[in-house]
Amino acid sequence: MDIKLDGVESSMVLIKQGAEARVFESTFVGRRSIVKERFSKKYRHPTLDSKLTLKRLNAEARCMTKARKLGVSTPALYAVDPLQHSLTFEFVEGPAVKDIFLDFGLNGIVEERLTDIATQIGNAIGKIHDGGLIHGDLTTSNMLVRNGTNQLVLIDFGLSFTSTLPEDKAVDLYVLERALLSMHSSCGNVMDKILAAYRKSSKQWCSTLNKLAQGDIAFLWDCSTQIHHKSEMKEIGAAVGACTIIDTYRFSYLIVN
Amino acid sequence: MKTFEVAGTTLALALFVDVTNSKQLLDLMQAGTLEPEVAFLNASLIPDVFPVLAAAYKAYISKSRDSLTTRTLHSELVYNYSGSKHISESLKRCGISDSTNYILVARFDASVDEMTAIKGLIKGSEINLEELERRADQAHIQKVRSLSLSLSLSLSLYVCVDARHYKISAPELGISSISDAITCRIAARDAL
Repeated sequence: MDIKLDGVESSMVLIKQGAEARVFESTFVGRRSIVKERFSKKYRHPTLDSKLTLKRLNAEARCMTKARKLGVSTPALYAVDPLQHSLTFEFVEGPAVKDIFLDFGLNGIVEERLTDIATQIGNAIGKIHDGGLIHGDLTTSNMLVRNGTNQLVLIDFGLSFTSTLPEDKAVDLYVLERALLSMHSSCGNVMDKILAAYRKSSKQWCSTLNKLAQGDIAFLWDCSTQIHHKSEMKEIGAAVGACTIIDTYRFSYLIVN
Repeated sequence: MKTFEVAGTTLALALFVDVTNSKQLLDLMQAGTLEPEVAFLNASLIPDVFPVLAAAYKAYISKSRDSLTTRTLHSELVYNYSGSKHISESLKRCGISDSTNYILVARFDASVDEMTAIKGLIKGSEINLEELERRADQAHIQKVRSLSLSLSLSLSLYVCVDARHYKISAPELGISSISDAITCRIAARDAL
């Protein structure tokens, strides 16, 4: 028996290509779906490449389902294919928060909607952080607002990991703050609204926000982004085995203090 | 009976109530003499067909890669539906027992003759698949899924940490339907 992949693949429409994966629109047993396929990097050693890709694929599936269990909406996971390195999940109908905010910048702010979205963002981050989950790439393009219910949906858990350290949570918030400052400065201080909701929803808000207020978060973020974006570093980390990405920047954090 | 497209093949589903010969069906199945081969699912655990189709998709892909965990394609469907890694426990919980009277029957690539044969085999009355949603005993589904928690506790600590969340918690139900929550567990099982 052979899988009729041709039939499946011909109905896949590429909608985005990133550094680590391609995102397609497709259908899964009759429902509109998104397929995220991690591709192999030819410059890596093949064994290391497949190990890394598979590890990240599984981690993403785990983190997505973990967020759901903590009460934060993510697209429902439909299938994980360890051979094709792909995840299939629900197609969420609705705009990205980025587009909504950009529209506010162009056509004027709808205060009520802005507050609603900011509150939902704060609540969602509070919930995942209290559950020990760090999103790792909180930007407004990784948040969708579901049509009809206006429910916030977090997407792209490709850089997510589990941690209970206030440093990691603060970096998560700092990334969002930077994204808001650079993209949506015309929307006023959205971050304050988000943090107000975060304080209410997270029980551990105090230590996290203390860390966020300290200047060295910028340095921590710098370390983490450098490492996240330089796949070479990740590979070195994985090859050494004992030294994870997180350890690497935690180590550099220790040196600074 | 209704047929669905799954991974380039078809899956026929039929739902039966007031089944009186489940013991006989179980014996035939366990002896391997069930003709044609089908999957019997405990329908009270199925809120709608979608998670069954997701489990079938997964089973069919495994079959085409020669990587079935259980003996047949149809038992793999039942095992996958459980979203758990315990094979015998999965088949017990999500398959049928001597006293099951509400059954969903599934067969891949079924011909008309085969479906007629299946209908002749089961002593019960066939009802519309839409009845699944109405009859889904949601409390029961959650109870069985939280049961797996206590089962896994006896295993290593690592397994236990993941199992702690295995039941569908109240916060999760606030953002998701039971059907989607089960589908996620089916899909993510091997990633855990």
